[in-house]
Amino acid sequence: MIRFDNLCKRYESGYEALRGVSFEMDAGEMAFLTGHSGAGKSTLLKLLMLIERPTSGNLLINGKNINRLPHSKIPFYRRQVGVVFQNHQLLFDRSVFENVALPLQVAGYSQGDIGRRVRAALDTVGLLDREKHNPITLSGGEQQRVGIARAVVHKPKILLADEPTGNLDPQLSAEIMALFKRFQDVGVTVLVASHDINLINRMDMRIMRLNQGQMEQDGVSYGGY
Amino acid sequence: MAATKSKTRDVGQRGARGQMLSRVDKWQSYRLHHQATLKNSTLKILREPLQSLLTILVIAIALTLPAALYLSVENIRQLSGGVDASAQISVFVKKGARESALKSLTAKLEGLSGVASVTYISAQDALDEFEALSGFGSALQYLDENPLPDSFLVQPLLIGDATRLVTEIRELKLVDDVQLDLEWLQRLDGLLDMGRKLVLALGAALGLGVILVVGNTIRLAIQSRRDEITVVKMVGGTDAYVRRPFLYSGLLFGIFGALIAAFFLTGLSFWLAGPVNNLALLYQSQFSISGLGFSGFLVLLLIGGGVGLIGAWLAVGQHLRNIQPR
Repeated sequence: MIRFDNLCKRYESGYEALRGVSFEMDAGEMAFLTGHSGAGKSTLLKLLMLIERPTSGNLLINGKNINRLPHSKIPFYRRQVGVVFQNHQLLFDRSVFENVALPLQVAGYSQGDIGRRVRAALDTVGLLDREKHNPITLSGGEQQRVGIARAVVHKPKILLADEPTGNLDPQLSAEIMALFKRFQDVGVTVLVASHDINLINRMDMRIMRLNQGQMEQDGVSYGGY
Repeated sequence: MAATKSKTRDVGQRGARGQMLSRVDKWQSYRLHHQATLKNSTLKILREPLQSLLTILVIAIALTLPAALYLSVENIRQLSGGVDASAQISVFVKKGARESALKSLTAKLEGLSGVASVTYISAQDALDEFEALSGFGSALQYLDENPLPDSFLVQPLLIGDATRLVTEIRELKLVDDVQLDLEWLQRLDGLLDMGRKLVLALGAALGLGVILVVGNTIRLAIQSRRDEITVVKMVGGTDAYVRRPFLYSGLLFGIFGALIAAFFLTGLSFWLAGPVNNLALLYQSQFSISGLGFSGFLVLLLIGGGVGLIGAWLAVGQHLRNIQPR
């Protein structure tokens, strides 16, 4: 589903964020991406969201090389990907329902479809009773769950998360991770960037560790610091 | 492994179903989005009445000024058009011309280019008219002979041709004198020409102003909705989708501005109607001021909407590209 083939990313400032990273993820696989801050986790996710383009190497999604995907096609690519941000990026000028509905509106779903799918997504994250609230009135953990509902409401094939538990206590973090696991169970490819070592180790999943832009370790057991 | 594979297929199908919107659905949702955007843009303008009103008023004033000048020029032109009808060249014929010579002169006058009509007034007719109008009837009895010459009234097609016609007619045989009292009309014509050019120049300058004002308003709107734009782009909103609400806002600003400008102009013509009618009465004229009219109103809306749209388009083109997810 995802294949990085000797990918390099050098920013205009000359900073080399990724230096020859290669890995592969099957469809329906879940993995953690870890490493110190500045190791290249965010850059790797940005490449997958087509926010940044690689300097060299190939990035294949579902067998298709997306290096040269034209600008006009990017929105349609992003509709196959769900993204959860650390700061969740919810819009506080509208209700929870409208926040979650955004990816569907953008893709042109009908009003009825949107209602059904948004409620299903909110039900999955356990926030069905909050659909009319403004997200600003919710707790940090609930806000993050709204962010997850928005990331999965259009049933993406790939779910990316950048430090999704960064601001949450261990209990809530574990709940969020369990939620990601449930999406993997229904066949979504899930890649979570996190430096919450304890949590990751407890999940018993594939762990990829970046160090100074290179893949230092890729396997199920984690070597630790 | 097999389990993973079947899962993969399952995901693929589900994903595909998610993408599988029929053309009809797509068109319908496209239309719905246009409707919703139009509604939301209108609501947004109404929800921020002060900021919106300022922009709309600036547009209205910028449209009113050239439109008012245009209407003035058009009204004066109509007025001078009324004078055109009486802008005739009087051609006095030498005394003692024979009837056949008069006939051939008539034909020659009619043959000149730019002549609308030629009317023959015999010396006797002229005398009768003078008697009737001047009140010197009894005094005329004492004259031995008719002092008035035969004459022609030549009506030029265009005021601009009058001077040329006068010279040409003067060359003709049997013509004694030619009179044209039209210099002031020609000057007025020149002024109107200038007025029309001024309308264009003023319109262009103020139109540019409107484009800048709308552009600036839209730029502020884009900046205040930066977060929303980022998220929409992140979840797969196309550039057109992101652009649409701002273009509608610009269009609506322009149209609202044009509506208020039409209101101003109507008020202006009502306000001026009284004095103008009085003045016209003094000059024994049937002239009355003519306002914008329906087609003028439509043109005003078109210009307002168009200028608003252009302003929005420029702002959007410049600023939306800079907002990308990070």
